[in-house]
Amino acid sequence: MRGLGARLGLDRWRALPLSRRRQILTPVLLGLGLLFPVLTGNAGNVDAAANAFTYVLLALGLNIVVGFAGLLDLGYAAFFAIGAYGYGIAASGQLKPEWSGFWAPLEWAGQVSRLVVPGQADSVQFHFTFWPMLAVSAIICAIFGMLFGAPTLRLRGDYLAIVTLGFGEIVPVVARNWEGLTNGAQGLGGIRTPRLFGFDFGFSPYPYYFLGLGLVAAAVWVSIRLQESRVGRAWMAIREDELAAGAMGVDHVHYKLLAFAMGAAVGGLGGTFYVAKLTTATPDMFTFPVSVMVLVMVVLGGLGSIRGVVLAALFVAFLQSVILQDLTEYVHALGRLVGSAALQKVELITSLELIFGIILVLMMIFRREGLWPAVRKVSALTREQQTAAPSRGTAVDLEWARPEPAGGPGRPLLEIAGLRKSFGGVAAADDITLTVHAGELVSVIGPNGSGKTTLFNLVTGLIRPDAGSIRLEGREIGGRAPHEIVTAGVARTFQNIRLFNNLSVMENLLVGEHARLEAGVLGAIFRPPWVRREERRAVERALEGVAIFGNRLLPRLDHPVYGLSYANRRRTEIARAIMTRPKVLLLDEPAAGMNPAETLELMDLIRAFRGLGITIILIEHKLDVVMDVSDRVVVLDHGVKIAEGAPAQVRYDERVIEAYLGRRRRAA
Amino acid sequence: MRTPGGVLLDFRDVHTHYGALHVLKGVSYEIREGEIVSLLGGNASGKSTTMKTVLGLVRPSEGTISFRGQPIHELRTSEIVKRGIAPVPEGRRVFPRMSILENLEMGRYTRRSEPGWDEDLERVFGLFPVLRDRRHQLAGTMSGGEQQMLAIGRALMTRPALLCMDEPSMGLAPRLVEEVFDIIREINAQGTTVFVIEQNVNMALSIAHRGYVLQMGEVVLTGSAAELLESPLIQKAYLGSGA
Amino acid sequence: MSGLDVVLQQVVNGLALGMMYALLALGFTMVYGIIELINFSHFSVFMTGTFVGLTVLDLMGVTAVSRSLSGLPLVATLIALFLVTMLVTGLLGVLIERVCLRPLRNVSGTAPMITTIGVAFILINLMLLTFGPQAQRFPSLLPNWRWPLMGTAEITFKQLVLFAVGLVLMVVLSHLVKRTTLGKAMRATAQDADAARMMGIDVDRVVVLTFFLGSALAGAGSLFFGLYYGFTGYYIGYTTGLRAFTSAVLGGIGSIPGAVLGGLCIGLTQSLGGQLIGVKWTDVMIFSILIFVMVLRPSGLLGVRAPQKA
Repeated sequence: MRGLGARLGLDRWRALPLSRRRQILTPVLLGLGLLFPVLTGNAGNVDAAANAFTYVLLALGLNIVVGFAGLLDLGYAAFFAIGAYGYGIAASGQLKPEWSGFWAPLEWAGQVSRLVVPGQADSVQFHFTFWPMLAVSAIICAIFGMLFGAPTLRLRGDYLAIVTLGFGEIVPVVARNWEGLTNGAQGLGGIRTPRLFGFDFGFSPYPYYFLGLGLVAAAVWVSIRLQESRVGRAWMAIREDELAAGAMGVDHVHYKLLAFAMGAAVGGLGGTFYVAKLTTATPDMFTFPVSVMVLVMVVLGGLGSIRGVVLAALFVAFLQSVILQDLTEYVHALGRLVGSAALQKVELITSLELIFGIILVLMMIFRREGLWPAVRKVSALTREQQTAAPSRGTAVDLEWARPEPAGGPGRPLLEIAGLRKSFGGVAAADDITLTVHAGELVSVIGPNGSGKTTLFNLVTGLIRPDAGSIRLEGREIGGRAPHEIVTAGVARTFQNIRLFNNLSVMENLLVGEHARLEAGVLGAIFRPPWVRREERRAVERALEGVAIFGNRLLPRLDHPVYGLSYANRRRTEIARAIMTRPKVLLLDEPAAGMNPAETLELMDLIRAFRGLGITIILIEHKLDVVMDVSDRVVVLDHGVKIAEGAPAQVRYDERVIEAYLGRRRRAA
Repeated sequence: MRTPGGVLLDFRDVHTHYGALHVLKGVSYEIREGEIVSLLGGNASGKSTTMKTVLGLVRPSEGTISFRGQPIHELRTSEIVKRGIAPVPEGRRVFPRMSILENLEMGRYTRRSEPGWDEDLERVFGLFPVLRDRRHQLAGTMSGGEQQMLAIGRALMTRPALLCMDEPSMGLAPRLVEEVFDIIREINAQGTTVFVIEQNVNMALSIAHRGYVLQMGEVVLTGSAAELLESPLIQKAYLGSGA
Repeated sequence: MSGLDVVLQQVVNGLALGMMYALLALGFTMVYGIIELINFSHFSVFMTGTFVGLTVLDLMGVTAVSRSLSGLPLVATLIALFLVTMLVTGLLGVLIERVCLRPLRNVSGTAPMITTIGVAFILINLMLLTFGPQAQRFPSLLPNWRWPLMGTAEITFKQLVLFAVGLVLMVVLSHLVKRTTLGKAMRATAQDADAARMMGIDVDRVVVLTFFLGSALAGAGSLFFGLYYGFTGYYIGYTTGLRAFTSAVLGGIGSIPGAVLGGLCIGLTQSLGGQLIGVKWTDVMIFSILIFVMVLRPSGLLGVRAPQKA
């Protein structure tokens, strides 16, 4: 197997950087696409290919929702339907409202005509042009995408799927029953075909083929651009760990709605294209099995893998149009050969859904990542890199991480007053008051269950306080959403490390920068110079961020983090937190699981962060370390602050010793 | 195979991992029949993993665990419990929407076909009268202390040879903690060997015969309760060495 | 005045339908309660049950006989029909669990649910390929006696039988779950699987048992469908399934009394709503209920746990 690959030059191919591979592939694929009709010389094949492009569009659209953002949409056919019916109604004689002045400008623009029928009131005849309708369809679907997605924002994965399934069902039912709008079960007919500079597409497959090719190429391009942008990274962060994404500044409401909108828009394009070609639209074309078919394409190809879903969509399309027919012929022939009447009667096309079911089951059990998973740019470590002695970083001089001075060191930065939080009647935080000054390093210690992590969660917005206030530089942040608090300048790491497991080290760090970058959807797609500059600088800063750990993470920048050692995962998480350029950094047991040497190194790093002016709040159990590095120590027990002061003072405090070791027993 | 004073549980050289994290790093201890043994440790010491490993909820990557001489580290949890180890889990874990009686019935699940339900029930009610009074109350509506009593009672329904208690003091007010530990001493006096995993050193050592101190996944100290209570090393293990 | 008897009729019809949805919802909610899985294939098992019933009746020679039975032969036939069908569907459920779901037991996320969608499609299409796309007549075993209630409202013998059988099944299930040790072990596992393990409960076996019981109940519900409507087809799992699913969610997913309450509510919604608003809008009504419950009150009417964000 390896020999064959090497002989085919696959090794050399894989060694090429991704951008180079793309530079080669793009013109080749485009060329093949453009030449295909000529090469095949068969109008039937061109027609099949044109139809297949619809499938590809749908798959690419669902890939944005499910593959990138991780939102399982089981009602995707609804957007297909809305795009289809949207154009269908606009381009057929279905709706005939009464004429009024409102329609005059549209008549002037050639989109509608005034129908004069003697004896009746004048009515409007719709014949909207295809090309602007493409855009209008996409916009309408995007709006519906957000509408259908909005109720699901707080729901868990399987529940989200059910709600989208519900919407996916309501649309065809409405289509079937609202006969005035959609002509009911009979469906729309007489939909006008597109015209381009006077040339009517009519019923020839060729113009549709090229149109479809263009739409697919555009959708692929947009998908790739989105995937490799700040937006795409935000989506993938949400998919991997929504909580951690929020803690890195990603607004999950905004990005989930965006994913629904973009996915729906692409689906709408597919619908408009399909119906323009078919010139008819019936409710049965948009039922649940259609949604499942699109899901099958994405699951088969690989969630999030653009090339995967394109290939899988083409496969499913050809399965339906060509492959099953041919296979049926073989089965019939086999039946004649062995004299089996049953085999001769088999029509494989009716078992299409059976095949879909089998694909879903097999893929989920055996290959959840899909047949052609997304390309991970994993560069193998060179021998030198593998055997290099891990080196410590040099001094941390990340100028961009230096918080802006506003009032100088020593002023109160984080003021917590009277903070309370109870869970089921038990106080996890009981009237906590604490002021942290700029540039300080405060450690929070206490036995298990004393409320340290709860305090962090309250400060970073993961939970809302029952009472009390939390002020950062005088502004209230208590009860605000996590991503807003990150933007304000508070960052954290988690006790049990929450990295975006399937993303690389570099990608994790870039998500950390999310709140400090500005590129949005348009910037992601079109990549104007300022976005390019922003991305370049972001990567530069990430490299500097990684370099603080010497050469431990540098060779592994492209590796997905689930494969890293525990210590390296911890380092990645800390670097990621620094990328948010915090004023206050909350570290929750950063030295857990590290050996003494690693712990010492970590403490040096923390001191270096202080040197940059970052204020640090530390939860740690290695009390030697805590005492060594802290300016002040705060002790919690059962949610109450029981001691506060200089390390030397606190460690011999009776109450602290009692909190840890327990009260001495009364004489029996 | 009851050998008074013989080794009941032998935890030998056990390593466990949680993903890439090496939690227990070659931990060994033994519990002899009739004893109360305490495993002590602060946060991040690995003590919570210990009970899960004994019960088979976590598998050791290395090392062995034997009960009455028979290896149990590869058995399923239900098997291990059948052999006579009863757990009182961290955080109690009573079945919230089942009554006290039903919880106790679940505790006796491995002996459900054996006679003696009434005696077993009486024994538990004798130790915890409050459970008798509220026997039909749903467990989820009880206070933390009452749930702790129920959790212990539930474990006792199997007449276990070894009672494993994971942080019985957690979340309880100090007065209740004293009560609970008094009851543990009583249970031991009635013949059950007890293994208490605890953070609260003073309370645990006030009833234990012997103890082990765990720090960062390793046993750093062991001895009789008296020895440990006197030792300045305990404070060091918990609070770190002086500057 | 004359409107009242129409309403009464719809209430009677709705309660009968509700029984069927309740039986279907019960099995579904029990599985969810224990392994937190939305099992789409449950409703295809239901659909398969009707075909199993058809086959059983065929084998018993009942379909060949054109007059309907009564008295002892009827009772015997019904008992045999129910027992065999429930056994077969129960085993089908167990098969699905072992082959398709157990390998995914520790996988988080939506992969297990997607697998059940696949299984559903497989079952639907197997039935389609075996029995053909057209509706199949289900023998009307029960005599068509009816008794007037008020005005034009009447109640049929079929409905009474269904009520009776449904009640019996629910009482049996309730007894099983509340009073037997095994049933308590099931409840314990649903409330805290790890703690259940620590009690020595074999959680794997409890899961298998739950699937068996749930699927057997689906089998009973499927016979209700066949007997009540007099027909079946490969597509019935779909519409009836979504209604039963909404019943389970409305009542509180994971709650057994909730499934019954939810089923009756949805049955009433279907018949009253169909009468008042129009039959063709019932699907939209029921889906809207589903969406509202999921978004506004995910724990449903009687549920205890709202599904939390992971």
